[in-house]
Amino acid sequence: MKYAVLKKENLNKWLEYLKKKARLYAPRKKENLFVFRPVKDVSEVCLKYIPTILPPKKYYFPQKEKLLKFSIEPFKTAKAISEFEEFILFGVHTCDIAGIQCMDVVFRDGPEDPNYLNRKDKMTIIGIECLEYCDQYANCASMANHVPRGGYDLMLVDIGEKFIIHINSEKGERLVKGLSYIKESGETEMSALERLREAKKKVFKEEFNAPLNKVKQAFNQGFASRVWEDVGKRCVACGNCTAVCPTCYCFDVLDDMDLSLNEGLRYRIWNSCQMDDFAKVAGGEDFRKERANRQRHRYYRKFKYPVDKFNRYFCTGCGRCSRSCMAQINLIETVNSLAAEVKES
Amino acid sequence: MRKPPKPKAAFFDFTDCEGCQLQFANMGETLLELTELVDIVNFREIMSEAGEDYDVAFIEGSITTDTDVKRIKRIREKAKVIIALGSCATIAGVNGIKNRSPLDLAKQRVYGDKADTVNTIKAMPVHEVVKVDYFINGCPVYIPEVISVIKCVLMGKPYPVPNYPVCVECKMNENVCRYEKDQECLGPLTRAGCNSWCVNYGNKCYGCRGLVENPAVNGQKDILLKYGLKIEDILNNFTLYNDSLGEKYDPEFK
Repeated sequence: MKYAVLKKENLNKWLEYLKKKARLYAPRKKENLFVFRPVKDVSEVCLKYIPTILPPKKYYFPQKEKLLKFSIEPFKTAKAISEFEEFILFGVHTCDIAGIQCMDVVFRDGPEDPNYLNRKDKMTIIGIECLEYCDQYANCASMANHVPRGGYDLMLVDIGEKFIIHINSEKGERLVKGLSYIKESGETEMSALERLREAKKKVFKEEFNAPLNKVKQAFNQGFASRVWEDVGKRCVACGNCTAVCPTCYCFDVLDDMDLSLNEGLRYRIWNSCQMDDFAKVAGGEDFRKERANRQRHRYYRKFKYPVDKFNRYFCTGCGRCSRSCMAQINLIETVNSLAAEVKES
Repeated sequence: MRKPPKPKAAFFDFTDCEGCQLQFANMGETLLELTELVDIVNFREIMSEAGEDYDVAFIEGSITTDTDVKRIKRIREKAKVIIALGSCATIAGVNGIKNRSPLDLAKQRVYGDKADTVNTIKAMPVHEVVKVDYFINGCPVYIPEVISVIKCVLMGKPYPVPNYPVCVECKMNENVCRYEKDQECLGPLTRAGCNSWCVNYGNKCYGCRGLVENPAVNGQKDILLKYGLKIEDILNNFTLYNDSLGEKYDPEFK
């Protein structure tokens, strides 16, 4: 079976089923925004949502994660987590799935990151395709992440009364097989899907004023651009943009003793290039003292460095950095200004 | 592990509400665990003895009189380690509001015709008078941070107060930004370390921990404009705890 069909009236029944299979995380409302949370009550799951405050990365790259436990006398170390639990991420947008693919590239690049890989092993991803823009901040079409491009186990598409489910892995297939209310899709549904994809082409338009290869070129030439000064003037270095980014993976490692002062835990905790002391080294030298340099660095870590290194853009187009920026630093505007400036010169 | 001798700790309060000491008293079981590591010899909120032989002195409150100056200098001579506890001790906090007006006027306002009988000087954080080894910011102090600092003291390690804003912790806690709710929050300018305590419970940040070293005042102004907030509003919030820094930032905000 490659495509399955689920009637919407049976969605909650299926969610109950998934909840029994593994720990289930899905988006739900929080005040005027949305967050991924463990599903307690399936009726709270919200599939029509704008990107959550934090991307689902908090489940495969937690904010603060135990790495190692140790004691000083006698000196001993051991893995802090011996077994990771199975979990399902439900209702993930295609932009966030692209984020997971980026993390995969980074954490699989040698030396491999065992904590990430262990969590990834236990993770099942059930996506949902967006049929319209979440809001004006998204640039998913320019990044070509507005359509499913793999990296998931199952992908849901809303075709009105029903969901079409694209089955992309054995793991995913096991979650739809043998259920009376999930059937193989027929021709009607498949042509509905085709029509829907056609219609989507009219909705989603590239958000950048230049194609992606030109954007990359602008980054190649734009290191000294005025754009960065302007962005730096507005930035307050709050670190929102990096915390909410699905592809920011910088972390710090710290040891925390318990009150015995003999035993402790080694943690890793999210860190951000936007912080004042991030690029400060022993001796007090700070390589990115100015906020402008730090913002520029963030952009280059999305549009140039990973492209050179992994042949992959690390902007997913989710729009979170612009959405969460109090100072209105807008990714689409920044990229467009840079591209325009380089074109002029 | 061989246990080193327990250091003796004493608590002293200056000009403050004693709320930070109350945080200690409310620690519950953790306080008992702490007494395994430290001998508390002087702490008037929880015990009647008042030992004068101590290694570590927790100083709560701002220095606001000549008598305070003498007293803190005496404590400094005796103590090996001085820990400034809470906003009053670390940044002068609420007491700093006094420094906004000339001292005579401030005295007049508070004490009226008895103003001449009062001995008072400008409100100062402890480190303006004596060397401080550890800072625990906050109004009141945040217990998990208190524990971290005490562990550092016992291990002889420095405790660097975070130099990044509260937003960093707030985002990790996935709170809805207060600006989204049209509140003027001091999170973007205020030192983290409290785990965005207030915002987690639906409040906004009042800046009780003092400012980050290199705050972006201009950027902050733009933010206020974007959300239609007035500079006066933020200045009012700002002066609640950070008025001792007023001279430095007032002109930039105005």
